[in-house]
Amino acid sequence: MIDPNEGDVRFENEGSLEPLPVVRERTVVMRAVGLTKIYSTVSGKAGSGAAALELFRGLDLKVHAGEMVAIVGESGAGKSSLLHLLAALDVPTAGEVWCGESRLSGLTPKQAADFRNRDVGYVWQFHYLLPEFTAAENVAMPLLARGMERAAALEKAAYWLGQVGLADRTANRSGELSGGEQQRVSLARALVTEPKILLADEPTGDLDGKTADAVFGLIQRLHEAHGLTSVLVTHNLEFAERCNRVLKLREGRLVDARTSPTEAGRV
Amino acid sequence: MRFEFFIAARYLRAKRRQAVVGVITAISVIGVAAGVASLIIALAITNGMRRDLQERLVGSTSHVDLMKIAGDGIRDWRPLLERLRKVPHVVAAAPGLYGQVLISHGARSGGGLIKGVIPRDEKTVGDLLQSVKQGSAAELEPFDSTSGSAAMHAVPPIVIGQDMAETIGVKIGDGVLVTSPQGALTPFGVVPRYQKFQVVGIFKSGFYQYDSSYAFTRLKDAQSLFSEPDLISVISFKVDDLYHADRVGRVIEAEAGKGFQTTNWMEQNRELFRALKLEQIVTFIVLALIVCVAALNILIALTMMVMEKTRDIAVLMSFGVRAEQVRRIFLLQGFLISVIGTVLGLILGYGLSWVGGHYPFPLDAAIYSIDHLPFAPRIWDGVIVAAVSLGVSLIATLYPSGSAAKVLPAEALRYE
Ligand SMILES: Nc1ncnc2c1ncn2[C@@H]1O[C@H](COP(=O)(O)OP(=O)(O)OP(=O)(O)O)[C@@H](O)[C@H]1O
Ligand SMILES: [Mg+2]
Repeated sequence: MIDPNEGDVRFENEGSLEPLPVVRERTVVMRAVGLTKIYSTVSGKAGSGAAALELFRGLDLKVHAGEMVAIVGESGAGKSSLLHLLAALDVPTAGEVWCGESRLSGLTPKQAADFRNRDVGYVWQFHYLLPEFTAAENVAMPLLARGMERAAALEKAAYWLGQVGLADRTANRSGELSGGEQQRVSLARALVTEPKILLADEPTGDLDGKTADAVFGLIQRLHEAHGLTSVLVTHNLEFAERCNRVLKLREGRLVDARTSPTEAGRV
Repeated sequence: MRFEFFIAARYLRAKRRQAVVGVITAISVIGVAAGVASLIIALAITNGMRRDLQERLVGSTSHVDLMKIAGDGIRDWRPLLERLRKVPHVVAAAPGLYGQVLISHGARSGGGLIKGVIPRDEKTVGDLLQSVKQGSAAELEPFDSTSGSAAMHAVPPIVIGQDMAETIGVKIGDGVLVTSPQGALTPFGVVPRYQKFQVVGIFKSGFYQYDSSYAFTRLKDAQSLFSEPDLISVISFKVDDLYHADRVGRVIEAEAGKGFQTTNWMEQNRELFRALKLEQIVTFIVLALIVCVAALNILIALTMMVMEKTRDIAVLMSFGVRAEQVRRIFLLQGFLISVIGTVLGLILGYGLSWVGGHYPFPLDAAIYSIDHLPFAPRIWDGVIVAAVSLGVSLIATLYPSGSAAKVLPAEALRYE
């Protein structure tokens, strides 16, 4: 399915793509079982009983290798919270998240950090680049953090900046880049470690329509070229439709928006 | 550690989103530098003062004094003196006879310590006779113990300290009455002995202790005053290394035989040096407060930096930077601030001390008894000051770096 020689993704080559075919390969990369997340929101009156906010209860999710899963849902449904749990940035109230053979809730803080460094690439709505560092340094940061030699890390960073079409902007600081370019750098930073899974929380949410299109197109192309596995949260239905699967987070459950007829058109 | 250093150094150099943090960082560096520099300079000066005082004090008096434990004086002292002069490390020795006296002039009088000396010998162990400012100590000279020729003076000569002279109101050439309580036994009981002396010299050493109570006369005259024919109470020594005075003292004791004991300049001036040491410690503590204030600046700068960077810290953690690494990033930043400040302070402190040592800063000698500020910087002081400065700064970085390590990425990155 992936031709490594085809890795040179041309960003300029825009234009909408056909929906990806449903992936047949059944290797499960990430699995959430019976996830429950309850925030005990602080209510002003102590003793009035903790007003708790239950985001989801008994949520199940399987992400297969090579899949691109879209998660949609109303604002406040808990999409970001779910992604945090998948990235071991937060712990569930109940239930478990598995990535391959490791159970995330069983990890020590140190192991969780190493898990995020090795196995997860994360992209937010905002680029969150560190303003003091150049684009290449920003991209190399996860590698430097694990102790990789500076030269080797920067070489990898340069490769991934090339992959997102920014080969000539390695020495620029984030303040010197456009919004779309910043988001592409942050995408390169998420992919530089060649993670098992890419988690993207509204990666195009901050961009104008045309730039959003371009960035999403880029994600899709990289996905194909590098055989990524990803979970994307998006409010853009057109983008969601381009993924292998579309899951809707509603009343604490994930339902397939395509196969469930009641959900169709309500995304 | 390389990664942490990379981040910390860049954070320190980078332009700030909040200019205040940059300003406070700069103030912290300057504060540490100022604290360290003033500590170095103050220690160099107190050290110089101490060294100066010590040199003059040790110059004025002998290094080691030998006495009888029983306090009954040394008879037959000439062979003993000759023998002790040959003790290794002894460079000079002089006999002396001390006695408590009352020196009076008309109605005014003052208590003092008279020392009968052989001037030629005495000058080799102490500077007091060389510091005669009015008259001359040479008047004591004609005494010659070998020829036994009597003094030219009908009245025996005496040299007294300036403060004593002022207390009893005498000038050169005036007569004074010296009274010894160790009187002669007569049918009427113990009668104090007294003797008229003529003031031939007034000395000023700068040490009140000596200038207010010491008086010198010829050994023979002192012996006759105390009616002690050919007796001395002390043999004073100069040694080649004054810091080994105690060791040489013990050798002298052993050489002199049973019944003798020695004291040295350190024992005699213990209180003075203890006071100087205390003064130095107090100076150190007071000036170390500057360093503490600078450390407080570091704490503020780092705390603000952590607040400013909370989101970036969360981002770092989101891609796998460990809490420990985050802590070290901010520890290193504080450490860098304090290292830069400390190094600048050491350069400034030693630089100014060097300048002060080579281009003397004039002082009013009448007030301070020295004519310039003495600088005696020591390497060891710098080591201690640097250790204190770095240590205090390290304590100041503990809180902010700890709070940086406690950032929860999921919280910090939630809304934006
Ligand atoms: N730490 C917390 N304590 C209490 N409530 C929280 C906490 N974090 C999130 N919430 C609440 O949980 C709900 C879900 O938040 P979340 O950010 O996951 O929603 P979302 O689906 O990503 O929404 P959006 O589409 O607007 O990004 C919100 O109502 C939010 O206020
Ligand atoms: Mg969200």
